Amino acid sequence: MDHVIAVEDVRKVYGAGGSQAVHAVDGVSFEVPKGQILGLLGPNGAGKTTLVKILTTITAPTSGHARICGFDVVRQALDVRRQIAVVLQQTAVETLLTVEDNLRIYAYLHGVSAGEVRKRMDAVLDEFDLREKARETVQDLSLGTKRRVQVAKIFMVDSPVIFLDESTTGMDPLMRRRVLDRIRREARNGRTVLLTTQVLSEAEELCDKIMIIDRGKTLAAGNLQELRRLSTQMFRVSLTFAHDQDVREQLESLHPVELRTEGERVELLFKGEEALLLGRLADLSRVAPIRHFEVRGAGLEDIFVDLVGEKAPRREPEVEP
Amino acid sequence: MSGVTAVVYRDYRQRITNIAFVFWDLFVPIAYLLLFGLGFQRTFGEFSMEGLRMGYAEFFLAGVLAMTTYGIAMNTSWGLFMDKDSGIFYELLTYPITRREFLVGKISFSLLLSALGSLLAIVLGAAIMQITVQWMWLPVTLLVVMCTTAGWFFLFSILAIRLTRMDAFNTLTSVAYIILMFLSSMFYPLEQLPAWFRILAWLNPMTWQVDVLRFSLIGVGSAAVVLVEFVAFMVFTLACLSLAVKTIDKAG
Repeated sequence: MDHVIAVEDVRKVYGAGGSQAVHAVDGVSFEVPKGQILGLLGPNGAGKTTLVKILTTITAPTSGHARICGFDVVRQALDVRRQIAVVLQQTAVETLLTVEDNLRIYAYLHGVSAGEVRKRMDAVLDEFDLREKARETVQDLSLGTKRRVQVAKIFMVDSPVIFLDESTTGMDPLMRRRVLDRIRREARNGRTVLLTTQVLSEAEELCDKIMIIDRGKTLAAGNLQELRRLSTQMFRVSLTFAHDQDVREQLESLHPVELRTEGERVELLFKGEEALLLGRLADLSRVAPIRHFEVRGAGLEDIFVDLVGEKAPRREPEVEP
Repeated sequence: MSGVTAVVYRDYRQRITNIAFVFWDLFVPIAYLLLFGLGFQRTFGEFSMEGLRMGYAEFFLAGVLAMTTYGIAMNTSWGLFMDKDSGIFYELLTYPITRREFLVGKISFSLLLSALGSLLAIVLGAAIMQITVQWMWLPVTLLVVMCTTAGWFFLFSILAIRLTRMDAFNTLTSVAYIILMFLSSMFYPLEQLPAWFRILAWLNPMTWQVDVLRFSLIGVGSAAVVLVEFVAFMVFTLACLSLAVKTIDKAG
């Protein structure tokens, strides 16, 4: 077995055969080796959640094959489920149970012994700041705490693969940081992670590989450097002028993708020939002296907007787990 | 702990954590027996049915057991609907248990609970209302209670998985409850009622259930008719089971 997650030409069509057929996933292929974190990015309705539902055996693909740890998601669904821990997009918690019961029953349902459950629960309650709320019924907790309980559950088990579908949504920044650190640690220890997120900085700092999908199709895949290369000739320029003067007109004449000014500081995103643009900025500096000048490669957000941003209005499948 | 046992434990913890469930599951049917049964017994005294003299409480006990099974099945399916609504149902589909094991776990807990609730009603009925129960038939009664709980649960689990709106689920199950209860032999003997009512009642699975329970509890009814009614209820249960399995297999 070469890859922990292997997806080959997977398609999911809702309402297949009808005139309203929606291609939620349209021929997606990728592989994730052991211990790697793959970030799945895409706008709403891109097909991320449907793909997660297929890989976690909630729904079957219309065609194509997907394997988790060598097990086929359709024919060996139960074996697949023994390998995975899943945090769904929806805040899926046992609202009628206490926090402790949520953790305990999740572990029991994953075959963890009672003695082991007690040990792990102590550690998880502390790590996720849930000790004080351990005996409270989840329906009485805030949304952020419910989310914490949902994420904490997956650390009660040792499944080699973790799926996180927008798992940090609704968490406070400190807890979010703690969860991201834990995920990174788990990956270092050999667990394979597939996460979907709309927080691009999260993917940028956490993922070994990023895949951008839209309308069910893969737009780009690779590590951040590879994606930067794919999104050719995009770069960010930060300028600080010596004096606060109105140069907006001159800057707009350079046709930046994005232009932000704040006093004498200017932030520009360019797409084009770097040398040519730098030459024109040099011309500008003769009229308006520049005190500070910095050129950076495009960030994930820039790449994402570049790849996804200028498309026609989408038709989203109305399918929710 | 096996997957099925874990699902049973989960349902047990849900019931224990939320006392309102216990009230609806166990105490409402008993309250019906003790209050409604006593009121009618005192008002109308004894009456004759198929050559046997009996008090209303004695007649009504089978109905109370049917109420218990229906209520427990309805509450368990409501829990299933809540699981779906909160998203945990879909997460459960990713756990290392099969969908059928999940269904078996859910029904197992309901069967245990309905047997317990029914036993409680029978014992209280005998102790407080002086109902003469056929104790030798108790295992049969409890077996019927469990089989019929399964039928109602499978029926409502189909609705719980298929329906997307809670108000629709609550309305359907409550309206069905009222129609099934009052259009059956639960509250009154059918012999004195108009022909159209009797025909509808004989087509009603709750009539089949109540008649079988009444036969095993106090020995009223024709064994042949009751046997047909029991078989009919089992066919109804198997049909609901088959549809419930198909529905849960398609869920997601």
